[in-house]
Amino acid sequence: MKAVLSSEWLKLRSVTSTYHTMGMAALTAVLGIAWTLYVSDLADERGMLRAAAPEEGFLPLVQISLAVLGVLTITSEYATGMIRTSLVTVPKRSTLLLAKAGIVGLATFVAANAILLITYSTSRLIAGDRHLAFNETLFADDLPRLFASGLSVTALALVGLGLGATIRSTAGAIVSVVALLFVLPGLANYLPPPWNTRIATLLLPNLVPQIADQRLSSRLGDGYLPPWAALAVLLAYPLITLLIGYFQLRRRDA
Amino acid sequence: MVRRAGAPPSRILYGVIELQHLTKRYGGTLAVDDLSFKVEPGHVTGFLGPNGAGKSTTMRLILGLDAPTSGQALVNGRRYASLGKPMRQVGALLDAGAVHGGRSAYNHLLCMARTNDIGPMRVAEVLEQVGLAGVARKRVGGFSLGMKQRLGIASALLGDPGVLMFDEPVNGLDPDGVRWIRDLMRSLAAEGRTVLLSSHLMSEMALTAERIVIVGRGKLVAEATVAELTARYPTLEDAYMALTADSLQYGAAR
Repeated sequence: MKAVLSSEWLKLRSVTSTYHTMGMAALTAVLGIAWTLYVSDLADERGMLRAAAPEEGFLPLVQISLAVLGVLTITSEYATGMIRTSLVTVPKRSTLLLAKAGIVGLATFVAANAILLITYSTSRLIAGDRHLAFNETLFADDLPRLFASGLSVTALALVGLGLGATIRSTAGAIVSVVALLFVLPGLANYLPPPWNTRIATLLLPNLVPQIADQRLSSRLGDGYLPPWAALAVLLAYPLITLLIGYFQLRRRDA
Repeated sequence: MVRRAGAPPSRILYGVIELQHLTKRYGGTLAVDDLSFKVEPGHVTGFLGPNGAGKSTTMRLILGLDAPTSGQALVNGRRYASLGKPMRQVGALLDAGAVHGGRSAYNHLLCMARTNDIGPMRVAEVLEQVGLAGVARKRVGGFSLGMKQRLGIASALLGDPGVLMFDEPVNGLDPDGVRWIRDLMRSLAAEGRTVLLSSHLMSEMALTAERIVIVGRGKLVAEATVAELTARYPTLEDAYMALTADSLQYGAAR
């Protein structure tokens, strides 16, 4: 297993798509700075305002970028035929998929948390003691939300890997991730109440505020899940998709 | 791992490929139909047959990439998927294009080597052996077909295995490369290895192989030595034409 992990780590490091997706995700920090400068300017004119925290507002960018990284980890192998080379060197499907999941999980968790923390701290530094609402909370109170955000990115990247193993096509898997992240939550918004909140409470992006014990949105109100249950549902997403991916990898010819 | 010229092999290279009633069905087509034969060490075994006869499918079945519908393929008495460090027992070149174009030749081989605990020294050694040492750091995507074939051969040799399989390794090679492959195949066999080689170039096969297995429509058509075939027919090519006359069909397995 250690040998396969080191191979997968090298595979991830030795292709440019890794750096492209990581760079896309890191763009969040730049956007966060631009956003904070903009609202700081407004605050200087008006005295105070309620602005969204950049690490929350731009979280979807980190999520989708690193989910694409998770997808590419396996679909790029199907696209090039490299998967057959991989399976000849590691015939055990479970070992190969577990090693990929381990490396994708670790790399995206470290990257996402680093990007979110940098975005968080630079925006607070720039905001200074202006009254922007988002910079007036204690770091300790923001930690649960930051942790949930970072974890959601890793969960999505692993969902991407699982979907990639199942669907085998880059485009197909990315469309599915986009559906999970953007389309379904958008649709849930327009369901008649109380079904909008009931469905939305289980959807991936809405699990982040629920883990931090915050409300979903002004439209949807509070979710139904206590933090521990929201965390369990968040972990269930990658677990289920990876299991489906594993069975597809084992059952179908390479 | 490294064998010096003149010194005896550091370990027994003896290996054998054995097919027992191997059958593979894709939907309605029988790609491999009750195929049984044995490939033994010490000489090159040529694997011949018209396009779509099931040669590549047979090799994929031996490597555990596809699962047989019935029957089994054994390498050294075991199923490929049950081998612990398969690269040390079997080396294969199936599709020279099955590489991620963005990776360098060195990194591609190192990714493979790491999974089977093979060191970077050995990677440098095989790159030298196939004549790619000068372009080791170049992206594989820019390689010509001939260079990719050499890279594929390097990956087959990585684990210094006793059993080797090559699917059309001569395609895309220059005359110099064709002669190099011929000498390489013969010397690998002379070292006591088992070599299964498929090709459509009859004159080349007559120079390289000692035994011939001919398949047509997934079935075994003939199994004989080159000497036996050339005694009955003017040339190996005539033998091939006569023996496969009934089994010409152009239905790719998939």
